Amino acid sequence: MTVVIGFEGSANKIGIGIIRDGEVLSNPRRTYITPPGQGFLPSETARHHRGVILTVLKEALEQAALTPADIDCVAYTKGPGMGAPLLTVALVARTVAQLWGRPLVGVNHCIGHVEMGRLITRAHNPTVLYVSGGNTQVIAYSERRYRIFGETIDIAVGNCLDRFARVIKISNDPSPGYNIEQMAKRGSQYVELPYTVKGMDVSFSGIQSYIEEAANKMLASAQCTAEDLCFSLQETLFSMLVEITERAMAHCGSQEVLIVGGVGCNLRLQEMMGVMCKERGAKLFATDERFCIDNGAMIAQAGWEMFRSGQVTELRDSWITQRYRTDEVEVTWRD
Amino acid sequence: MHTSHQLELYPGQTVTQVLFKCVRNSADLRKSAMEGKINAALINPKMLVDPFQVIVAANKAVHLQNIGKMKTRSLYSEILFNLSPTNNISEAFRRFGISDADDAVLVVLVATDDESQTLADVTEMVDGQQVHVEELPTLSDVTQIRKLYKVTPQEEKIGSLLDSVVCKMATKDVM
Amino acid sequence: MAVSNFLSKGSLLKQGAEARVYRDIFLGKSTIIKERFPKKYRHPLLDEKLTHRRTVQEVRSIQRCRKAGIPTPVVYFVDYTSHCIFLEDIADSVTVRDHIVSTQHQSHPSPTLEHLAPLAVKVGQILAQMHDEDVVHGDLTTSNMLLRRNGDVEDASELSLVLIDFGLSYISGLPEDKGVDLYVLEKAFLSTHPNTEALFQKLLESYTASSKKSSAVIKKLDEVRLRGRKRSMVG
Repeated sequence: MTVVIGFEGSANKIGIGIIRDGEVLSNPRRTYITPPGQGFLPSETARHHRGVILTVLKEALEQAALTPADIDCVAYTKGPGMGAPLLTVALVARTVAQLWGRPLVGVNHCIGHVEMGRLITRAHNPTVLYVSGGNTQVIAYSERRYRIFGETIDIAVGNCLDRFARVIKISNDPSPGYNIEQMAKRGSQYVELPYTVKGMDVSFSGIQSYIEEAANKMLASAQCTAEDLCFSLQETLFSMLVEITERAMAHCGSQEVLIVGGVGCNLRLQEMMGVMCKERGAKLFATDERFCIDNGAMIAQAGWEMFRSGQVTELRDSWITQRYRTDEVEVTWRD
Repeated sequence: MHTSHQLELYPGQTVTQVLFKCVRNSADLRKSAMEGKINAALINPKMLVDPFQVIVAANKAVHLQNIGKMKTRSLYSEILFNLSPTNNISEAFRRFGISDADDAVLVVLVATDDESQTLADVTEMVDGQQVHVEELPTLSDVTQIRKLYKVTPQEEKIGSLLDSVVCKMATKDVM
Repeated sequence: MAVSNFLSKGSLLKQGAEARVYRDIFLGKSTIIKERFPKKYRHPLLDEKLTHRRTVQEVRSIQRCRKAGIPTPVVYFVDYTSHCIFLEDIADSVTVRDHIVSTQHQSHPSPTLEHLAPLAVKVGQILAQMHDEDVVHGDLTTSNMLLRRNGDVEDASELSLVLIDFGLSYISGLPEDKGVDLYVLEKAFLSTHPNTEALFQKLLESYTASSKKSSAVIKKLDEVRLRGRKRSMVG
């Protein structure tokens, strides 16, 4: 049996999870929530994480009913993400690894999402749509790498949603995306927005600037409601995502789709992806907010795979990096 | 001597082409056609590269007739219009219809299987010598065709003149 | 109706991401029929708009390319109600993708660059020509280029290459748009054909040498790549 603890804090969530051979023993998490109209800044987010990390660590061990002696390996997010929060969490991971005398493993955050999705859904070799506040990628495995077939050429889809939420002052509690999703259910009028797909890539900056410019004008003139805008924005963004996922599937000859990342728990996105899959005779795999949204268990799971295949990170190499592409990691644990 | 092609999209409809040389009654034919007495398209072969060009035009005409989107008043005028590279109807008739001085004509019929009688009716009206439709290319005015369809020398390097003409016809609605 | 009845009897070659592709005899010739069927996952208004726009763009760009001497299939017929395009069947051709894959298989491990270099040169030339006509393809992959099989050729000028799938194309003179076009190809190329960086470099060199306006485009390509690497990836 191999028990791995994972530390995640690359953005505004701080999570610590413990995995024992595919079983999630604990996975507590805290979110730094900012007032409406405001995003989260690196230094303040790091301060938040510093304030709660030891409490979360205690919870993780207690809920798993384990002591440090039961832990075989300490995994932490090496990147990508915000520098200050990453650093804060890596510091704690390094400290406990030395206190407990256990090896460290630095994990690519994106690969954490992919491996957690594979574990929870049992998807075998899926085309992965990874969508969050900072990432929009269509990934497929081939020859020892998670290769990026499609991605955003400018901003991430979650970023586009978050910034829209700030423009029309939608609450950040529990998350802007969740609130947009609820409002979209009450929208009915479809407002046409720019739609930009380039091959297997997407661009959201055009929609972003269009809606920032037009939203408040349209609302002021009662041309449409805020709910209509949420609805139209989701319909447009998600159509683009489903389209590039389908393009990648056709390209790779894949019959499985896995959606991961914070935006991946949006039920409308899952529904649209499901319709596409049904038309192709493919299978959709998705997880709920516990595992879609950044969490510690996903880092533990990827760390488990890496550790079991012989990868460890020496203390002197246990740095963090804000930019860390998914395809930089050699996948030593898959055929 | 004539060729018939059953349209794949409309299996009941057959496009028949009959070619005449040494025609002496072009003026009468044109008049009858304008009065609607001839149930066929009368085409000046000079602007035709190949019978395939006519089939492309006829297929489009039958299709647009079926979905109620013809640009002209009859199926046969629609065939003339579809042959043209432009969207100007009167220019299409002028270029592809016959004129009084012409001594060659391609007669094009679109008919369901049980209407074969019309072929005989129409050919009977033509005072000329029926020749094999395969002879159509010998009557083409290639220089005029290149000019009308604005075929570039680069274009002819990647395909035949027929390719260029047909592609131009098929894409003109959105150009 | 007539078109869908016809297609229901045809042989489906493949179901791509946005179209079903059939091969059948049409107007007496072997023909490829590309049907952009409705995508049920997206809003009907959006779907209709996109499907119509892409059909029109594909037809327009094909004609524009042919006029400039860039090989693309002849359009025989378009039905804008069922969004079907009837195209010349490029006889005896393979996709560049399949060609590269089979060449890599045959000549494992190393001499692939040598074998594939004339092809890379040819692709670079044709794309340069296309961009000089201000056609931006929008979906460049090695699957969207056909290679006519005419034996082994040493010289790029003897290769016969045909560009297809112009549904995402548009007309633009901006170096930015052309740069992104190449960026999309680069990523598709390298993710589809691992370890071909040198081959793609060859393609870019050929593009640079062939296009009158290449320096601004390559500069934009470098910028777009950098944007990818510098992108903040928070969350």
